[in-house]
Amino acid sequence: MYIFEGKASEPVYLWVNEDQVEVRSAAHVWGKEVPETTDILKVETHPEARVACIGPAGENLALMAAIMNDKNRAAARSGVGAVMGSKNLKAVVAMGNKNPPLFNPDAMRDISVDTSKNVGVDIKKGSNLRIYGTAYVPQVTNTLGILPTRNFLQGTFEHADKVDGVALKEQYLIKNVPCYRCPISCGRLTEVPDGPYKGKGEGPEYETISSLGTGCGVSNLAALTKANYLCNEYGMDTITTGMTIAAAMEMYEKGYISEDVIGMPLRFGDHDAMIAMIHKMARREGFGNDLAEGSYRLCEKYGHPEIAVTARKQEFPGYDPRGSQGMGLLYATSNKGASHMEGDVAYEEVFGVPVKENPLTTEGKPELVKHFEDSFALIDSSGLCVFLAIRYVFSKERMVWPVRLADMMNLTTGAGYTPEEVLKAAERVYNLERMFLIKAGSGPEHDTLPHRMLHEPLPDGPAKGKVVELDKMLPEFYKLRGWDEKGYPTKEKLEELGLPVS
Amino acid sequence: MMIHIKMIGNYRDHLPPASKNGMIEIEVPDGTTVHDAISRFGIPLDDSSVIVLNGLTVDMNTPLQEGDVVTAFSAIAGG
Repeated sequence: MYIFEGKASEPVYLWVNEDQVEVRSAAHVWGKEVPETTDILKVETHPEARVACIGPAGENLALMAAIMNDKNRAAARSGVGAVMGSKNLKAVVAMGNKNPPLFNPDAMRDISVDTSKNVGVDIKKGSNLRIYGTAYVPQVTNTLGILPTRNFLQGTFEHADKVDGVALKEQYLIKNVPCYRCPISCGRLTEVPDGPYKGKGEGPEYETISSLGTGCGVSNLAALTKANYLCNEYGMDTITTGMTIAAAMEMYEKGYISEDVIGMPLRFGDHDAMIAMIHKMARREGFGNDLAEGSYRLCEKYGHPEIAVTARKQEFPGYDPRGSQGMGLLYATSNKGASHMEGDVAYEEVFGVPVKENPLTTEGKPELVKHFEDSFALIDSSGLCVFLAIRYVFSKERMVWPVRLADMMNLTTGAGYTPEEVLKAAERVYNLERMFLIKAGSGPEHDTLPHRMLHEPLPDGPAKGKVVELDKMLPEFYKLRGWDEKGYPTKEKLEELGLPVS
Repeated sequence: MMIHIKMIGNYRDHLPPASKNGMIEIEVPDGTTVHDAISRFGIPLDDSSVIVLNGLTVDMNTPLQEGDVVTAFSAIAGG
């Protein structure tokens, strides 16, 4: 683990070569986009080195800036790219072949082979993630009426067929791109071969489709794919980028921001204007300087904070919680602000993994959300992918139980953890983050959702008429967490978890 | 009565050629249930299969009404 404190006086990058660590000048790559930066740094370090870097968006402190890994994979949310930019840290480049020893390599190999076998059996049955990538999901969420459309003004998109995984596979897919040794291989290498949106790269994945696509009312798949490439090249989170533009589109259509301020008309569905906004955001040019602050600050500046669909000032991902109540509680309580990756109960409410939950009800959701938040903290802490972990290293019951995950951790470390102990550690992670947030000024008063989710019923689709019934879930959630009724962790809970009481 | 069947992702392969965008309209007798309708297409249903009626979670024995949409997909292998 590396911790970067303070700020370098000039742009630098960190080169980690086995046990050697060197801080080098990054003056020559400052200002360059992610693909070029990555190529240059590999040439001057090692051709097999891996590069995590920021692009111009991170350098310009755009709040949706991501840290880009291997050019196309984003540590996207919460503006972590801007944190690197604020430190003048352009990249971390790493190379190493010395694997740490496993406690029980034979048993670890056996359990890995067995897990792979289980995945293989399912893939033979037909894995949508493998065939279509996460881009198969718009059809699912559109069916349930929770596909974010036009800044969450609607829950269904009339052109979902034009921006889904089938269309992507037929038109632009070159091949699947797996992460290291992954049997699922959900990544998509795509190419728009010609025309104004010509380009090549990875994506779009579901969350990009639901933000830069349906979220902005955009149905032009070539333009949407190009917008994804641009975000990767500038180093930007596609969710926040897309939903910030979507909020600006709504404000333009309602007459709250003029064409003069924006520099052009900005209607829902105008894919060329959307692409123009991405360039401006990354460079903080003109109106892009407002967009680069994200939708909460943008809407607040222009006098209409109710239009920003955010929690803890972060834009919602691709599940409208009015039709997926557990996701509403998750967005309101996630330590990262609105994020599906902090306890994705859509697995059960939307996908039926491992058990189908009714997405429209609130009963039982507080305990499910708490359990998933802790389970996801565990998955993140162990460095696994949630796609694989949720199905293959947890038990297949409603309250997924980390049986095989605990085994794997023990075979790696020899620590002898029980599933209860690893889950308790995850609860500690969640509560530690909570205490950090409280001290950082983002306490329980932020455990809420924007006006649209609480007071504007969905106008269309199967969840028509629904709002998020947060007040039915939040008090029970606090109780299950062992927090007081205002949402502060109690002294007893902190002591139970071995956290400092202060 | 006429109802619609929509298949998502790999289940589309089980629809007849007349389907469009993963959807087809079919005639079924009164009393046909969600389960009856979806069983006609030879989908290898298992615990990863999700079937919804008009986008809603329902009992598989729910009888269908004119114009209903039954949708099926699988979230096997991952999510």
